[in-house]
Parts: sequence; structure tokens; C-alpha cells
Amino acid sequence: MTSLLGGIFLGWSLGANDAANVFGTAVSSRMIKFWTAAILASCFVLAGALLEGQSGIETLKGLTRFTYNQAIIASIAAACTVTIMTLIGLPVSTSQAVVGAILGVGILNRQLNFAGLGKVVVCWVGTPVGGMVLAIIVYKLLAAIANSMNLNIFQSDILLRLCLIIAGSYGAYALGANNVANVTAVFVGAGMLSTSAAALLGGLSIGLGILTFSKKVMETVGQKLVRLDPFSALAVVLAQAVTVHIYALVGVPVSTSQAVIGAVLGVGIIKGVNTIRRRTLVNIFLAWFITPFVASVFALSIDFATHLRYIPG
Amino acid sequence: MFKFLFKKERQVQELIFKYLDNLRKTQEHFEKAMDCYFDFGLGENCDFLIAQTHKFESRADDLRNDIIEMMYSKVLIPESRGDIFRLLESIDLILDHFEAVLFMIQGQKIEIPDFIVVDLREFIRVSLECCDLVIRQVEAYFKRTEDIKPLVSIIDSHESRCDHLEREIVSKIFDSDMDPFQKIQFKELVSQIGEISDQADHVSRSVYIINIKRRV
Repeated sequence: MTSLLGGIFLGWSLGANDAANVFGTAVSSRMIKFWTAAILASCFVLAGALLEGQSGIETLKGLTRFTYNQAIIASIAAACTVTIMTLIGLPVSTSQAVVGAILGVGILNRQLNFAGLGKVVVCWVGTPVGGMVLAIIVYKLLAAIANSMNLNIFQSDILLRLCLIIAGSYGAYALGANNVANVTAVFVGAGMLSTSAAALLGGLSIGLGILTFSKKVMETVGQKLVRLDPFSALAVVLAQAVTVHIYALVGVPVSTSQAVIGAVLGVGIIKGVNTIRRRTLVNIFLAWFITPFVASVFALSIDFATHLRYIPG
Repeated sequence: MFKFLFKKERQVQELIFKYLDNLRKTQEHFEKAMDCYFDFGLGENCDFLIAQTHKFESRADDLRNDIIEMMYSKVLIPESRGDIFRLLESIDLILDHFEAVLFMIQGQKIEIPDFIVVDLREFIRVSLECCDLVIRQVEAYFKRTEDIKPLVSIIDSHESRCDHLEREIVSKIFDSDMDPFQKIQFKELVSQIGEISDQADHVSRSVYIINIKRRV
């Protein structure tokens, strides 16, 4: 069990951070209680991980061969990357950190599945772009439906809240389905866990992160989305959920935060306003390169450190 | 199916309708007090009707506070709370103007000269018609019973008529050979009555803006 701690920690921090992308809007605007959102999110994350998480696990474990020790090194390297980069305020994505750590292990093994790696990198670029395109489609579709209904302020509010709960739950499902691979795929690659056990463990650790540590992040990240307006925020959450779910079906773990940024950009295009600062876009671009590089260096360094032997002089 | 989840929303909605009923009652008592004053002057009956108007105005304040308190206990999205809050504050000013007119007459023991009584009654009638239309518009907005846009222009034309009447009355007052102090006093009273239709027009525009803001 202790050998799985790196993965559990990664899942926990993923749950604590990424739940804000799906339920942040509803919680920070006090439309639903934190505990309702947290329980719904953890249940749907677990459901997503168990029902559709296998595909991503297969992709990540197929990137290279893992030994027992290398799986532990990869998970610790990814967890350290996410923690340290978050602490020093650099842009970071768990998915990119995990792939970077696997890349480091692949370099050690001198064996990398370049076709699989290419697919993953293409999907990273496709995440914000997909979020943006889907946000435009979702916004137009929802706007047409909303304008055709003759609702008063109470009815439209109730409908909006219901939609945010449904979209949030769906987002949590997509998060579980897509990101569970980040947490436990390396252990499947090393033969330490079966795919379904990995999905269960990953889902539970993400759920634990949501239940124990996501409140503050939900309130702060959510407020940034609320500034849009509730309807746009709904379009953003839904577009992000659909984007992440599509990549879950493709079998590539992606960053939910980058999908959200793409979706906010899409809503901004429709409304003719600048919703995203240039700096945020630069940060995404940097995260594509810096995060995998740092995680690879960590994996190589940890491996080097574990092979050091004390030779008395 | 999800009715049990949104009990508080329904309670806020019911309170808003109660508030509008109360507004109607305040207006009725204001009208009765003014009729009594024009017909019989200040006296016991008029004082009673002024006190009744004040009672309904205070009741409106209590209802408004109840609505705000309930709204901010996790009911509605923040933007809607803000819109309803500002709308209620705006409607409340109409009630304040009703009360201010009556208290001015009662406190300053104003006696209306005969040559402006007819114009003043017409001025008050049109102003109150404006308020009736505003209540209808606010109800229509919350119940979705009719299109609110045509009501905005009707209220606007009533408000213009009130402005015209106000100018006419003030002009008659200053054309007369009344004591200059009385002229200023009547002008103030007429301006205070004019505030009723101005505020009704303001509420009407607010409702219209809240409505179009929700179109996406």
C-alpha cells in the first residue's frame, strides 16, 4: 500500500484542485452548498473512473515499460512536480506532469512509444482549442433554447441552477473518466494493480481530495468564472465537461483547467469581449513544455538517487 | 419534480406578490386620504387615512426586509438577488413619496387654493394611474402574463403628461397674487407629487432592463 502513496497523493491533489472547474461556479455563487457539490462530485468522479477510466489507463501504461520501482518513481516525480510548481506559482497540469514522469522512465528504459506520445501531445494542444470551439457551439445552442422559453426570473434561476448541478455532475464524471489514468496508470504498467483496481483506487483518491481539500479552491477559482455571468459560466462548465469526456473516450488524460480556459475564450469570442489575458495563454503554452520537462528531470533524478551506493573510503 | 428543492424561491416569489398587494393598498389609502382632504380638508377622517397609509408603508418596509433576508439565504443567483433588491428599493421610493406628500399636507397644514384643485386632482389621478400600470408591469414580469414592453411606453406617456401638468400648476401658482411664501410651499408640494410618476417611470425602466438583461 505504501508504494501506492505517490499515486494516492497525486489523486488527492488532483481532486482538491480540479473539482473547482466543474462545481466552482455553483459553490462560489452560493447556488448550491459546498457539501452537496463535494458529495455529487466525488460520487460522479468515482463513477467516471470505474465506467470509462480504462481507456486512458491503457494509453498511459502503453507509453513505456515499467518495473515496480519505476512506477513508484514516476508517481512520486509527478506528485513532486505538481506540488513544487504550484508552490512557486508556475503553470502546471497533472496530466502533463504524469506524462513527463513516464517520459523520464522511458528515457531510462531507452524505450518509448512515440506513436502514443504523439497522440497525447496532439490532444494537449486540442484541449483548449476543443474547449473554445465547443463553448461557442454550446453557448449558441443554450441561448437559442433559453430565448425560446418564456421564463420569469425565478424559473430561469431554478433552471440555471439545475443545469449547473447537472453540468457539474457530468463534468465530475468526465474528470474521473479522463484523469484517473494520471493517478494509477503507472501501477497498472508495472503489474501492481489490475485496470479496474487502478480505476477504483484512482477514483477514490480523487474523491477524497474533493471531500477534504477542495472548498477553498472552489470558492476562489469559481469566482473567476462567476465574473462572466451565470449563463456564460454554465456554457463554460458544459463545454469543458464535453471536451474532457471526448478525450476520455479517446483515451488521453488532459488538463481540465486548460479546457476551461479554452471555453472561457470561446464565450469571449461570442460576446465580443476579451475574457482571457494574454499571460494565461502564454502560461498554457509554457505548461506544455515546462511541466513534462521538470517531471522527466525529477524522475531521472529520483532514479539516480535510488541507485547511489555508499562506498566507505 | 424538483419542487421540494426550490421551496425558498417560491416563498420569495409569494412575498413579492404580497409586497405588490401591499403597494396597491398603500396607494388606495393615499388616494382616499387625498380625496378626503380635497373634499373635507384636514380633520379626523383625513388623519386616520394618513395614519393608515403610513401603516401600509411600514408594512411594505417589513415585507421588503423579509424578502431581502430570504433572498440572501442562498436563494437565487447573485445577479438576480441584486436586480430584485434594487427593484424593491426603487418601488419603495414610490411609497415614500406617497407618505411625504401626506405628511407635508398634514405637517404644514396646507390649504389648497380653489383655482388649482381641479388641476391637482387630475395630476394625482394620472400619477396614480402610472402606479397602477407599474404594479401591472411588475406582476407581468414575475408571472409572465403579458408583454412588458408596451407598458413601458404607456407609463412613459403618462409620466410626460404628469410633467406637463406639474409645469402648468406651478405656472398658475406663480401667476397668482398669493403670498410668495405660500407660492414656494405649493411649488414644493406639487414637486413632491410629481416625484410619484417620475419614480414610477424609473421602476418601469428598471423592470424593462432586468428583462432584456436576461435575454442571451
